[in-house]
Amino acid sequence: MDEKQRLSGSSNIETRESDSPYTEDGVDLTLIWWMLSLTPTERLEALQEHLWSMMRLRGDVAET
Amino acid sequence: MLPKPDFIEILRTLAKHGAEFILVGGVAAVAQGAAISTLDLDLVHSRSPENLDRMMKALEALGARYRTPGAEGLKPARSHLESEGHQLLMTRAGPLDLLSVIGSRRGYGDLLPHTIEVPVGDVKVRVLSLAEVIKTKEEAGRDKDRAMLNVLRRTLEEKCKRKP
Repeated sequence: MDEKQRLSGSSNIETRESDSPYTEDGVDLTLIWWMLSLTPTERLEALQEHLWSMMRLRGDVAET
Repeated sequence: MLPKPDFIEILRTLAKHGAEFILVGGVAAVAQGAAISTLDLDLVHSRSPENLDRMMKALEALGARYRTPGAEGLKPARSHLESEGHQLLMTRAGPLDLLSVIGSRRGYGDLLPHTIEVPVGDVKVRVLSLAEVIKTKEEAGRDKDRAMLNVLRRTLEEKCKRKP
């Protein structure tokens, strides 16, 4: 399995360069496209929820 | 135990008090579409006497206290906000870093021409443009900044492609 196949999560699907969701430096474009589809407020809400989830996983917060 | 992060509430409280500030750093990048994670909210504030009064009122409303060892739990003073130092605070809505200058010692007045107005909830916030966020991170040259630069540059490229 080459690097591109590993990143795309499949050894069976052949991807063309232009179809790859990853740039050559490994940036996941699908996440960028998703974030760009949101409003600024929604982007900040997504960040806040992500952080809150991480903090809960680490046990940094009191469960209510 | 840490409070639930609510960057929107911090920005709203500052804006409602009429504070003049620029959102910079990772959260500024996220507001413009970057898919990165960051824990603290970085702001560069105007150090005009009038604005320092507004900032102090907003910080009081947010219950801001220093989070740095040695000063932990102390209230920030007006003179601290007037200085060129960084004020690393904890509020009831999460961490807040007040920066007088960033990168090559650029302050509020220097950065203002490089900002855009972004609606956040029911207020509008001055945000450092993504191109300038990239520039400040390049200037800083820290490992943690370098790690996110690829994502920031790609986000800027994708944003440019989408412009009509």
